[in-house]
Amino acid sequence: MRTKLTIVLASAGLLLAAWPLRAHHSFAAEFDVHRPIKMRGTVTRLGWINPHSWIYIDVKGPDGKIVNWMIEGGSPNALLRLGFTKDALPVGSEIVVEGFQAKDGSNRGVGQSVSFADGRKLFLGGSAPGANGPEK
Amino acid sequence: MTRRRFAPLLPMAAVLICAPAPATGQSDFEGIWTSASVVPLERPAHLKGKEFYTKEEAAENAKRVLGMTSWERLGSQAPEHYNMSQYGLDLSQVKVAATLRTSLIVGPDGRVPPLTPEAQKRSAERAARNRGHQFDGPENRPLQERCIIYSTEGPPMQPSAYNSNLQIVQGTGYVAIVQEMIHSTRIIPTDGRPHLPPDICQWLGDSRGHWEGHTLVVDTTNFTDKAPFRGSTASLHLVERFTRVDDDTIIYEFTADDLATWTRPWTAQVTLARIDGPLFEFACHEGNLGIANTLKGARAAEKQ
Repeated sequence: MRTKLTIVLASAGLLLAAWPLRAHHSFAAEFDVHRPIKMRGTVTRLGWINPHSWIYIDVKGPDGKIVNWMIEGGSPNALLRLGFTKDALPVGSEIVVEGFQAKDGSNRGVGQSVSFADGRKLFLGGSAPGANGPEK
Repeated sequence: MTRRRFAPLLPMAAVLICAPAPATGQSDFEGIWTSASVVPLERPAHLKGKEFYTKEEAAENAKRVLGMTSWERLGSQAPEHYNMSQYGLDLSQVKVAATLRTSLIVGPDGRVPPLTPEAQKRSAERAARNRGHQFDGPENRPLQERCIIYSTEGPPMQPSAYNSNLQIVQGTGYVAIVQEMIHSTRIIPTDGRPHLPPDICQWLGDSRGHWEGHTLVVDTTNFTDKAPFRGSTASLHLVERFTRVDDDTIIYEFTADDLATWTRPWTAQVTLARIDGPLFEFACHEGNLGIANTLKGARAAEKQ
Protein backbone atom coordinates (compact mmCIF):
# COMPACT_ATOMS: atom_id res chain seq x y z
CA MET A 1 0.00 0.00 0.00
CA ARG A 2 2.80 2.34 0.90
CA THR A 3 4.41 1.88 -2.52
CA LYS A 4 1.13 2.46 -4.28
CA LEU A 5 0.46 5.61 -2.28
CA THR A 6 3.92 6.97 -2.99
CA ILE A 7 3.42 6.48 -6.70
CA VAL A 8 0.10 8.24 -6.57
CA LEU A 9 1.45 11.13 -4.55
CA ALA A 10 4.27 11.60 -7.02
CA SER A 11 1.67 13.04 -9.37
CA ALA A 12 0.88 15.80 -6.89
CA GLY A 13 0.61 18.35 -9.67
CA LEU A 14 -2.60 16.70 -10.78
CA LEU A 15 -4.14 17.41 -7.40
CA LEU A 16 -3.37 21.09 -7.06
CA ALA A 17 -6.58 22.24 -8.67
CA ALA A 18 -8.51 20.60 -5.87
CA TRP A 19 -7.26 22.97 -3.20
CA PRO A 20 -8.86 26.32 -2.31
CA LEU A 21 -6.25 28.68 -3.67
CA ARG A 22 -8.13 31.89 -4.13
CA ALA A 23 -6.23 34.96 -3.08
CA HIS A 24 -7.99 38.16 -2.15
CA HIS A 25 -7.64 39.48 -5.67
CA SER A 26 -6.12 38.60 -9.01
CA PHE A 27 -2.47 39.55 -8.97
CA ALA A 28 -2.25 38.85 -12.69
CA ALA A 29 -4.83 41.60 -13.26
CA GLU A 30 -2.89 44.15 -11.24
CA PHE A 31 0.74 43.36 -12.01
CA ASP A 32 2.64 42.66 -15.21
CA VAL A 33 4.71 39.49 -15.36
CA HIS A 34 6.65 41.08 -18.23
CA ARG A 35 7.84 43.93 -15.99
CA PRO A 36 10.02 42.35 -13.32
CA ILE A 37 11.52 44.80 -10.83
CA LYS A 38 14.47 44.60 -8.48
CA MET A 39 15.22 47.78 -6.58
CA ARG A 40 16.91 49.06 -3.46
CA GLY A 41 15.14 51.78 -1.56
CA THR A 42 14.60 53.52 1.74
CA VAL A 43 11.34 53.06 3.62
CA THR A 44 9.33 56.30 3.83
CA ARG A 45 5.99 54.95 5.10
CA LEU A 46 4.14 51.77 5.97
CA GLY A 47 0.51 51.27 5.03
CA TRP A 48 -0.37 48.74 7.73
CA ILE A 49 -3.78 47.97 6.24
CA ASN A 50 -5.88 44.99 5.19
CA PRO A 51 -6.36 43.28 2.84
CA HIS A 52 -2.76 44.09 1.86
CA SER A 53 0.09 45.92 3.49
CA TRP A 54 1.89 48.60 1.47
CA ILE A 55 5.51 49.60 1.89
CA TYR A 56 6.50 52.98 0.45
CA ILE A 57 10.16 53.36 -0.54
CA ASP A 58 12.33 56.07 -2.06
CA VAL A 59 14.39 54.66 -4.91
CA LYS A 60 17.25 56.50 -6.56
CA GLY A 61 17.22 56.07 -10.36
CA PRO A 62 20.25 55.91 -12.68
CA ASP A 63 19.91 59.66 -13.20
CA GLY A 64 20.15 60.30 -9.47
CA LYS A 65 16.52 61.30 -9.23
CA ILE A 66 14.56 59.95 -6.23
CA VAL A 67 11.24 58.29 -7.02
CA ASN A 68 8.74 57.00 -4.44
CA TRP A 69 7.39 53.48 -5.08
CA MET A 70 4.46 51.61 -3.47
CA ILE A 71 5.06 47.92 -2.79
CA GLU A 72 2.13 45.57 -2.11
CA GLY A 73 2.54 42.75 0.42
CA GLY A 74 0.56 40.37 2.62
CA SER A 75 -1.97 41.25 5.29
CA PRO A 76 -0.76 42.76 8.57
CA ASN A 77 -2.82 40.16 10.45
CA ALA A 78 -0.53 37.37 9.38
CA LEU A 79 2.59 39.48 9.94
CA LEU A 80 1.47 40.24 13.49
CA ARG A 81 1.12 36.51 14.08
CA LEU A 82 4.72 36.15 12.96
CA GLY A 83 5.64 38.62 15.67
CA PHE A 84 6.35 41.36 13.13
CA THR A 85 4.93 44.74 14.05
CA LYS A 86 4.92 48.04 12.22
CA ASP A 87 7.79 49.17 14.46
CA ALA A 88 9.99 46.34 13.15
CA LEU A 89 10.40 48.20 9.86
CA PRO A 90 11.25 51.80 10.80
CA VAL A 91 11.14 54.64 8.34
CA GLY A 92 14.65 54.99 6.92
CA SER A 93 15.30 51.24 6.70
CA GLU A 94 17.05 50.21 3.52
CA ILE A 95 15.39 47.27 1.77
CA VAL A 96 15.63 45.37 -1.50
CA VAL A 97 12.43 44.51 -3.34
CA GLU A 98 11.97 41.90 -6.03
CA GLY A 99 8.64 41.58 -7.79
CA PHE A 100 6.64 42.92 -10.70
CA GLN A 101 5.50 46.40 -11.68
CA ALA A 102 1.86 47.44 -11.99
CA LYS A 103 0.25 46.98 -15.39
CA ASP A 104 -0.50 50.69 -15.71
CA GLY A 105 3.22 51.44 -15.58
CA SER A 106 2.99 53.52 -12.41
CA ASN A 107 5.59 53.33 -9.65
CA ARG A 108 3.83 50.51 -7.92
CA GLY A 109 4.70 46.85 -7.65
CA VAL A 110 4.17 43.61 -5.81
CA GLY A 111 6.80 42.75 -3.23
CA GLN A 112 7.24 39.15 -4.19
CA SER A 113 10.34 38.93 -2.05
CA VAL A 114 11.55 41.68 0.27
CA SER A 115 14.92 41.74 2.04
CA PHE A 116 16.89 44.02 4.29
CA ALA A 117 20.00 45.47 2.71
CA ASP A 118 22.16 42.85 4.46
CA GLY A 119 20.25 40.05 2.72
CA ARG A 120 17.98 38.95 5.58
CA LYS A 121 14.46 38.29 4.37
CA LEU A 122 12.00 40.80 5.77
CA PHE A 123 9.37 39.39 8.14
CA LEU A 124 11.05 35.99 8.38
CA GLY A 125 13.29 37.07 11.22
CA GLY A 126 10.37 36.76 13.64
CA SER A 127 8.92 33.72 15.29
CA ALA A 128 7.63 32.10 12.12
CA PRO A 129 8.04 28.34 12.01
CA GLY A 130 10.81 27.59 9.57
CA ALA A 131 11.99 31.18 9.68
CA ASN A 132 15.58 30.08 9.45
CA GLY A 133 14.94 27.28 7.02
CA PRO A 134 15.04 27.26 3.24
CA GLU A 135 12.76 29.71 1.49
CA LYS A 136 9.57 28.13 0.25
CA MET B 1 3.08 28.72 22.20
CA THR B 2 2.76 25.37 23.85
CA ARG B 3 -0.07 24.02 21.74
CA ARG B 4 0.68 21.20 19.39
CA ARG B 5 0.66 22.17 15.79
CA PHE B 6 -1.62 19.28 14.91
CA ALA B 7 -4.78 18.34 16.71
CA PRO B 8 -4.98 14.62 17.46
CA LEU B 9 -6.12 12.36 14.68
CA LEU B 10 -9.81 11.67 15.02
CA PRO B 11 -11.63 8.66 13.71
CA MET B 12 -14.38 10.76 12.15
CA ALA B 13 -16.65 7.81 11.53
CA ALA B 14 -17.08 7.31 15.26
CA VAL B 15 -17.25 10.70 16.96
CA LEU B 16 -17.53 10.59 20.73
CA ILE B 17 -18.94 13.46 22.72
CA CYS B 18 -16.61 14.13 25.59
CA ALA B 19 -16.54 17.93 25.88
CA PRO B 20 -17.86 19.30 29.15
CA ALA B 21 -21.29 20.90 28.98
CA PRO B 22 -21.74 24.29 30.68
CA ALA B 23 -24.43 24.93 33.30
CA THR B 24 -26.94 25.79 30.58
CA GLY B 25 -26.72 22.22 29.37
CA GLN B 26 -25.51 23.46 26.00
CA SER B 27 -22.13 22.48 24.61
CA ASP B 28 -19.55 25.23 24.78
CA PHE B 29 -18.23 26.29 21.37
CA GLU B 30 -16.73 29.58 22.50
CA GLY B 31 -13.21 30.26 21.39
CA ILE B 32 -11.06 30.97 18.38
CA TRP B 33 -10.80 28.23 15.79
CA THR B 34 -9.26 27.49 12.43
CA SER B 35 -10.73 25.48 9.58
CA ALA B 36 -7.34 25.17 7.82
CA SER B 37 -7.12 21.78 6.16
CA VAL B 38 -4.79 19.61 4.11
CA VAL B 39 -7.81 17.85 2.63
CA PRO B 40 -9.59 19.15 -0.49
CA LEU B 41 -13.35 19.62 -0.67
CA GLU B 42 -13.69 16.98 -3.38
CA ARG B 43 -11.99 13.63 -3.36
CA PRO B 44 -9.20 13.23 -5.91
CA ALA B 45 -10.06 10.75 -8.66
CA HIS B 46 -7.37 8.26 -7.67
CA LEU B 47 -8.97 7.92 -4.20
CA LYS B 48 -12.41 7.12 -5.57
CA GLY B 49 -14.32 4.92 -3.12
CA LYS B 50 -11.78 5.48 -0.34
CA GLU B 51 -13.35 7.81 2.24
CA PHE B 52 -10.65 7.52 4.91
CA TYR B 53 -6.89 7.28 4.97
CA THR B 54 -5.13 5.01 7.38
CA LYS B 55 -3.30 6.93 10.08
CA GLU B 56 -0.01 6.50 8.19
CA GLU B 57 -1.51 7.60 4.87
CA ALA B 58 -3.08 10.68 6.50
CA ALA B 59 0.29 11.67 7.94
CA GLU B 60 1.93 11.19 4.56
CA ASN B 61 -0.74 13.30 2.85
CA ALA B 62 -0.33 16.08 5.42
CA LYS B 63 3.44 16.01 4.93
CA ARG B 64 3.05 16.23 1.16
CA VAL B 65 0.54 19.09 1.22
CA LEU B 66 2.42 21.10 3.84
CA GLY B 67 5.62 20.53 1.88
CA MET B 68 4.32 22.31 -1.21
CA THR B 69 5.87 25.68 -1.95
CA SER B 70 3.68 28.74 -1.86
CA TRP B 71 4.09 29.01 -5.65
CA GLU B 72 2.73 25.50 -6.07
CA ARG B 73 -0.24 26.36 -3.87
CA LEU B 74 -1.02 29.46 -5.93
CA GLY B 75 -1.12 27.60 -9.22
CA SER B 76 -1.82 29.92 -12.12
CA GLN B 77 -1.32 33.05 -10.01
CA ALA B 78 2.20 32.10 -9.04
CA PRO B 79 4.34 34.35 -11.30
CA GLU B 80 3.01 37.69 -10.10
CA HIS B 81 2.08 36.72 -6.56
CA TYR B 82 4.13 37.48 -3.48
CA ASN B 83 5.81 34.76 -1.48
CA MET B 84 3.04 33.51 0.81
CA SER B 85 5.39 32.01 3.39
CA GLN B 86 7.40 35.23 3.68
CA TYR B 87 4.23 37.00 4.77
CA GLY B 88 3.15 34.25 7.17
CA LEU B 89 0.25 33.13 5.00
CA ASP B 90 1.40 29.66 4.07
CA LEU B 91 -0.54 26.61 5.23
CA SER B 92 2.65 25.14 6.68
CA GLN B 93 2.85 28.09 9.10
CA VAL B 94 -0.52 27.60 10.79
CA LYS B 95 -2.19 24.96 12.91
CA VAL B 96 -4.00 22.37 10.85
CA ALA B 97 -6.37 19.84 12.35
CA ALA B 98 -5.46 16.32 11.37
CA THR B 99 -8.13 14.13 9.84
CA LEU B 100 -8.40 10.71 8.31
CA ARG B 101 -10.76 12.00 5.63
CA THR B 102 -9.63 11.96 1.99
CA SER B 103 -12.10 14.74 1.12
CA LEU B 104 -14.24 17.13 3.09
CA ILE B 105 -17.30 15.80 1.26
CA VAL B 106 -18.52 12.69 3.01
CA GLY B 107 -19.81 9.46 1.50
CA PRO B 108 -18.48 6.97 -1.01
CA ASP B 109 -18.40 9.48 -3.89
CA GLY B 110 -16.78 12.42 -2.14
CA ARG B 111 -17.71 14.80 -4.95
CA VAL B 112 -20.18 17.65 -5.44
CA PRO B 113 -23.17 16.07 -7.23
CA PRO B 114 -23.67 16.90 -10.92
CA LEU B 115 -25.35 20.20 -11.75
CA THR B 116 -28.93 19.94 -12.95
CA PRO B 117 -29.51 20.92 -16.62
CA GLU B 118 -31.13 24.12 -15.33
CA ALA B 119 -28.01 24.96 -13.29
CA GLN B 120 -25.70 24.22 -16.22
CA LYS B 121 -27.70 26.60 -18.39
CA ARG B 122 -27.65 29.25 -15.66
CA SER B 123 -23.91 28.89 -15.21
CA ALA B 124 -23.25 29.14 -18.96
CA GLU B 125 -25.44 32.23 -19.24
CA ARG B 126 -23.68 33.88 -16.32
CA ALA B 127 -20.27 33.18 -17.86
CA ALA B 128 -21.43 34.49 -21.25
CA ARG B 129 -22.74 37.70 -19.68
CA ASN B 130 -19.46 38.37 -17.92
CA ARG B 131 -17.17 37.34 -20.78
CA GLY B 132 -15.23 40.38 -21.98
CA HIS B 133 -16.68 42.54 -19.22
CA GLN B 134 -14.72 41.24 -16.22
CA PHE B 135 -12.94 44.59 -15.78
CA ASP B 136 -15.62 47.06 -16.87
CA GLY B 137 -16.11 48.38 -13.35
CA PRO B 138 -16.09 47.36 -9.69
CA GLU B 139 -19.49 45.68 -10.04
CA ASN B 140 -17.96 43.18 -12.44
CA ARG B 141 -15.31 42.09 -9.97
CA PRO B 142 -15.73 39.17 -7.54
CA LEU B 143 -17.40 39.89 -4.21
CA GLN B 144 -14.25 39.14 -2.23
CA GLU B 145 -12.17 41.55 -4.32
CA ARG B 146 -14.78 44.19 -3.47
CA CYS B 147 -14.49 43.27 0.24
CA ILE B 148 -18.18 42.38 0.47
CA ILE B 149 -17.96 38.71 1.47
CA TYR B 150 -15.15 36.19 1.12
CA SER B 151 -15.83 33.16 -1.03
CA THR B 152 -15.10 30.65 1.75
CA GLU B 153 -16.52 32.43 4.80
CA GLY B 154 -19.92 30.93 4.25
CA PRO B 155 -22.30 29.79 5.27
CA PRO B 156 -21.21 27.15 4.56
CA MET B 157 -17.79 27.78 6.10
CA GLN B 158 -14.87 26.23 4.21
CA PRO B 159 -11.11 26.29 4.65
CA SER B 160 -9.53 29.27 2.90
CA ALA B 161 -6.14 29.62 1.24
CA TYR B 162 -5.07 31.59 4.33
CA ASN B 163 -6.54 33.22 7.46
CA SER B 164 -9.06 30.42 7.98
CA ASN B 165 -9.69 31.85 11.42
CA LEU B 166 -13.02 32.35 13.14
CA GLN B 167 -14.40 33.07 16.58
CA ILE B 168 -17.55 31.66 18.15
CA VAL B 169 -19.34 33.54 20.91
CA GLN B 170 -22.40 32.20 22.76
CA GLY B 171 -24.97 34.21 24.67
CA THR B 172 -28.50 33.65 25.90
CA GLY B 173 -30.59 32.98 22.83
CA TYR B 174 -27.78 33.66 20.35
CA VAL B 175 -24.60 32.24 18.86
CA ALA B 176 -22.33 34.56 16.87
CA ILE B 177 -19.60 33.55 14.43
CA VAL B 178 -16.95 36.10 13.46
CA GLN B 179 -14.84 35.39 10.38
CA GLU B 180 -11.46 37.08 10.15
CA MET B 181 -11.68 36.90 6.36
CA ILE B 182 -13.13 39.29 5.37
CA HIS B 183 -14.89 40.67 8.45
CA SER B 184 -18.42 39.25 8.65
CA THR B 185 -20.19 38.38 11.87
CA ARG B 186 -23.09 35.94 11.55
CA ILE B 187 -25.60 36.27 14.37
CA ILE B 188 -27.64 33.13 14.87
CA PRO B 189 -30.75 33.31 17.07
CA THR B 190 -31.36 30.09 19.01
CA ASP B 191 -34.62 31.16 20.65
CA GLY B 192 -36.97 29.40 18.26
CA ARG B 193 -38.01 32.42 16.23
CA PRO B 194 -38.99 31.76 12.59
CA HIS B 195 -36.93 32.65 9.53
CA LEU B 196 -37.29 36.06 7.91
CA PRO B 197 -40.02 36.40 5.27
CA PRO B 198 -38.91 34.69 2.04
CA ASP B 199 -38.69 37.95 0.08
CA ILE B 200 -35.81 39.19 2.27
CA CYS B 201 -32.46 37.97 0.93
CA GLN B 202 -29.13 38.51 2.69
CA TRP B 203 -25.47 38.03 1.76
CA LEU B 204 -25.04 35.46 4.55
CA GLY B 205 -28.59 34.14 4.41
CA ASP B 206 -30.75 33.97 7.51
CA SER B 207 -29.63 31.50 10.17
CA ARG B 208 -31.64 29.95 13.01
CA GLY B 209 -30.09 27.58 15.53
CA HIS B 210 -31.40 24.91 17.86
CA TRP B 211 -29.89 22.17 19.99
CA GLU B 212 -30.08 18.47 19.35
CA GLY B 213 -28.42 17.04 22.42
CA HIS B 214 -24.87 18.40 22.47
CA THR B 215 -24.99 19.39 18.81
CA LEU B 216 -25.80 22.90 17.63
CA VAL B 217 -27.87 22.69 14.45
CA VAL B 218 -28.11 25.81 12.29
CA ASP B 219 -30.68 26.10 9.52
CA THR B 220 -30.04 28.81 6.92
CA THR B 221 -32.32 30.08 4.14
CA ASN B 222 -32.95 33.51 2.55
CA PHE B 223 -29.79 33.46 0.46
CA THR B 224 -29.26 35.78 -2.49
CA ASP B 225 -28.61 34.96 -6.15
CA LYS B 226 -25.84 37.57 -6.01
CA ALA B 227 -23.64 35.28 -3.91
CA PRO B 228 -24.06 31.78 -5.33
CA PHE B 229 -22.34 28.92 -3.52
CA ARG B 230 -20.91 26.72 -6.27
CA GLY B 231 -23.65 27.87 -8.62
CA SER B 232 -26.54 27.68 -6.15
CA THR B 233 -29.66 29.83 -6.23
CA ALA B 234 -31.39 31.88 -3.54
CA SER B 235 -33.35 28.69 -2.80
CA LEU B 236 -30.30 27.08 -1.22
CA HIS B 237 -31.19 25.40 2.07
CA LEU B 238 -28.22 24.81 4.32
CA VAL B 239 -28.08 22.79 7.54
CA GLU B 240 -24.92 23.01 9.66
CA ARG B 241 -24.10 20.84 12.64
CA PHE B 242 -21.48 21.80 15.24
CA THR B 243 -20.32 19.05 17.59
CA ARG B 244 -17.60 19.56 20.18
CA VAL B 245 -15.55 16.37 20.40
CA ASP B 246 -12.77 17.45 22.78
CA ASP B 247 -11.26 20.55 24.32
CA ASP B 248 -9.55 21.58 21.11
CA THR B 249 -11.79 20.21 18.38
CA ILE B 250 -15.20 20.86 16.82
CA ILE B 251 -16.60 18.74 14.03
CA TYR B 252 -18.44 21.10 11.70
CA GLU B 253 -20.70 19.47 9.14
CA PHE B 254 -22.88 21.10 6.51
CA THR B 255 -25.50 19.75 4.14
CA ALA B 256 -26.33 21.83 1.06
CA ASP B 257 -29.66 21.27 -0.66
CA ASP B 258 -30.82 23.15 -3.73
CA LEU B 259 -32.76 21.08 -6.23
CA ALA B 260 -32.45 23.91 -8.75
CA THR B 261 -28.68 23.36 -8.70
CA TRP B 262 -27.65 19.82 -7.68
CA THR B 263 -29.24 16.49 -8.42
CA ARG B 264 -29.16 15.60 -4.72
CA PRO B 265 -28.19 17.15 -1.35
CA TRP B 266 -24.56 16.75 -0.34
CA THR B 267 -22.66 16.90 2.93
CA ALA B 268 -19.14 17.93 3.91
CA GLN B 269 -17.33 17.73 7.22
CA VAL B 270 -14.64 20.16 8.37
CA THR B 271 -12.55 19.82 11.53
CA LEU B 272 -12.20 23.08 13.47
CA ALA B 273 -9.08 23.21 15.64
CA ARG B 274 -8.67 25.59 18.55
CA ILE B 275 -5.98 28.23 18.07
CA ASP B 276 -4.53 30.98 20.19
CA GLY B 277 -6.03 34.40 19.67
CA PRO B 278 -6.70 37.07 19.19
CA LEU B 279 -8.68 37.39 16.03
CA PHE B 280 -7.62 40.62 14.34
CA GLU B 281 -9.79 43.22 12.70
CA PHE B 282 -9.79 42.94 8.92
CA ALA B 283 -10.95 46.35 7.73
CA CYS B 284 -10.92 45.16 4.15
CA HIS B 285 -12.91 47.84 2.38
CA GLU B 286 -11.11 50.71 4.06
CA GLY B 287 -7.72 49.46 2.86
CA ASN B 288 -8.71 47.99 -0.47
CA LEU B 289 -6.35 49.67 -2.93
CA GLY B 290 -6.30 46.49 -5.00
CA ILE B 291 -9.69 47.00 -6.66
CA ALA B 292 -8.73 50.43 -8.03
CA ASN B 293 -5.30 49.19 -9.09
CA THR B 294 -6.82 46.22 -10.91
CA LEU B 295 -9.15 48.50 -12.87
CA LYS B 296 -6.28 50.88 -13.63
CA GLY B 297 -4.37 47.90 -15.01
CA ALA B 298 -7.32 47.01 -17.24
CA ARG B 299 -7.63 50.58 -18.56
CA ALA B 300 -3.89 50.61 -19.33
CA ALA B 301 -4.19 47.28 -21.15
CA GLU B 302 -7.06 48.62 -23.28
CA LYS B 303 -4.86 51.44 -24.56
CA GLN B 304 -2.17 49.08 -25.79
